[in-house]
Amino acid sequence: MMTQFIYGLLFYIFLMLPPVANLVESIMITHMHMQMPMLVVSGFLMAGIFLKRFPRFFEKWNSNGIPGITLFMIVIIYWTIPRTMDEALTYQAIEAWKFISLPFLAGFPLRDSWKKLTKAGKNLIIIIFTVKYFGMGALYIWSEDQLCNNYLVIDQLTLGWGFITTAICLVIYLVYAFTVDPTKYE
Amino acid sequence: MQTSVSQNKLVSGFTDKANKALGISKQDALISKSYLAVAFIALLLGGLLGLLQGLNRAGLLELPAWLNYYQVLTAHGILLVVVLSAFFTIGYFYAGLSHTLGGLLPKVRKIAWIGFWTKIVGFVLVVIPILMNEASVMYTFYPPMKAHPMFYFGLALIVVGVWFLAAGAFINVANWRKNHKGEHLPILAFFATGVFVLLVGATAFVAVEVLFMIIPWSLGWVDTINVMVARTLFWAFGHTAVNIWYLTAVSAWYVVIPKVIGGTRFNDYLTRVVVIALVIMNITGGFHHQIIDPGISLPIKFMHVFMSLAIGFPSLMTAYAMFRVFERTGRRKGAKGALGWIKKLPWGDVRFLSPFIAMAAFAPAGAGGIVQSTNQLDQVVHNTMWIVGHFHLTLGMSVVMTFFGVSYWLVPYISNRVLTPKMNKLGVIQTIIWTIGMVIMAFSMHTAGLFGAPRRTSYTTYGDFSASLGWDPYMAAVGVGATLLLVAVIIQVYAVFNMMFFAPKGTTEFPIAEVEADEAKTPYMTERWGVWVVVMLIVIAMAYVLPLTDMIVNAPPGSPPFKTW
Repeated sequence: MMTQFIYGLLFYIFLMLPPVANLVESIMITHMHMQMPMLVVSGFLMAGIFLKRFPRFFEKWNSNGIPGITLFMIVIIYWTIPRTMDEALTYQAIEAWKFISLPFLAGFPLRDSWKKLTKAGKNLIIIIFTVKYFGMGALYIWSEDQLCNNYLVIDQLTLGWGFITTAICLVIYLVYAFTVDPTKYE
Repeated sequence: MQTSVSQNKLVSGFTDKANKALGISKQDALISKSYLAVAFIALLLGGLLGLLQGLNRAGLLELPAWLNYYQVLTAHGILLVVVLSAFFTIGYFYAGLSHTLGGLLPKVRKIAWIGFWTKIVGFVLVVIPILMNEASVMYTFYPPMKAHPMFYFGLALIVVGVWFLAAGAFINVANWRKNHKGEHLPILAFFATGVFVLLVGATAFVAVEVLFMIIPWSLGWVDTINVMVARTLFWAFGHTAVNIWYLTAVSAWYVVIPKVIGGTRFNDYLTRVVVIALVIMNITGGFHHQIIDPGISLPIKFMHVFMSLAIGFPSLMTAYAMFRVFERTGRRKGAKGALGWIKKLPWGDVRFLSPFIAMAAFAPAGAGGIVQSTNQLDQVVHNTMWIVGHFHLTLGMSVVMTFFGVSYWLVPYISNRVLTPKMNKLGVIQTIIWTIGMVIMAFSMHTAGLFGAPRRTSYTTYGDFSASLGWDPYMAAVGVGATLLLVAVIIQVYAVFNMMFFAPKGTTEFPIAEVEADEAKTPYMTERWGVWVVVMLIVIAMAYVLPLTDMIVNAPPGSPPFKTW
């Protein structure tokens, strides 16, 4: 757990380094689909030790995983709105909020909630993301206006296709999850 | 706690007994024999063409008017990079699946034969236009160079053949898992699964390139083609293909070599993690072949450097694992001191010697690969003989020498014959000749490349230009290396067919090493291939969406076809 925490922390610091942050934020798709998930991953790694140290806190507030996963969803959905990305680049305070909210309000609750959810609950979350990704993809691809002041139309088109391809991968996973019966093999 | 060892031992004990009593079934053996026979015939032809090229580049041989240098180069590349490697890989893994999973299913055998003949028909269609000098586009077939459409139809059939073989392998693996609930797939079958997953993933890209872009364009249905997209799709395939051959060699390093030297294999969990890591990260690495292509922005190239170098990590794990196994085995045999274990290795055994040299060659080959993944360094060497030297080290030594080493037990195994001490000696001689030839050739190619000698060109002195005359001594050495290599090829092909049809009858063991006795149980997550495939797809999507959208949306006018020869 301690090693995981250290790796998570080092990863978090690495993502904060100005050259790294500048590079990934200079391209819209790497901003949303690389930096943001990696921030969540860093929080996910750091969370383990806290879950062990403060089990009662998490038990009290997140006994069945639903409050945690709801918080996770709110934070993630918030950060897929074009306006929020723009603000992160324009206001230093929002940029700081991004670096706090994604690891600590998305990565932490995800770690605590995911194993508490039932299989159906997990698949439901993935279905919600699949639908949302197709929707966001359609928005970014077919929107004729520039949605972010900081990014070009080609950037948002690329991000749109990124959403669509990720959604296709999630569909493939769902087909696998619903058609293959693991009890036949495990 | 029940360890994986006791489980593995139970299972392998049972299959071992079954296989000892029965050996490989005749029908399964015939499949592997056919694949290996095609592979080594391709080696002979490809080697011969390699000699012609080597002598041409050395300035010793002017090719006749009816035999174009680029025609020879195309055939050499296709025969060795595609035919030899693919047929060997399939023959080897199908024998491995048959051995470790208790025989191939009848329907899988049928699928394997359909795949075999689809591939053979495909290769015939590819070879005809090459022989007619209608497809001298080299094995990368970059547009806007256009070959005869038949060439591309042949390529498409080869891909279909590969998909049959992959489907067959998956069916057999799924069937085994149904009958062995909760068990880990035997390690060689695990490697095979990874290899076939990658083969399907890689060939999907080239299928899109050939079917939806090149064929309509070569038939004249569309006037132009997007060259950048075609190249990108090609390298998603081409890079992965090469890494599949490498992963095949790696499987023998982890599974077979420890048994040959009388030891145990490296940690089962880490071995499986290496396979999964290589499968997930491989296809995205293809981009570094385009690192100096125009039309790709620098930040993208910069990020792809990380993706390419990421593949180096499991390779470094492999390097550590191999030497750990050698040292452990050596010490158990009584080796003393820091390096005493080296003396305990069976140097006179071709089944060890050849793959060992292959591994050793991977050190400079891998280092060269890292050099080429670096934009600024690659600008110096990209279009030079350096690159040719690099892939003769990686494929011509690391991969092919492992294949040679494997052939000295695999061919007798599937033929119910034995490796005689005499044949072993011949194999050692062959290994030494091949090593000397390839070291001379690869070193000269790297050096000539550093001095600027271009690749993919026939011999010329550029009007006796002084700088280009300086390459000549190195290119002459390439000719010497190519000659030695052909001698080694002839010995190797003789050995294979001798072991297949004429060697003394007897039983040969399929060498699969056991795990260490006190090893902890491997977590079951390694077996969840469905999840790993989805992770692989997401990584590929993330890597390719960005450059492909840019190349398609901001595309320059497409290119009409050209015939440059």
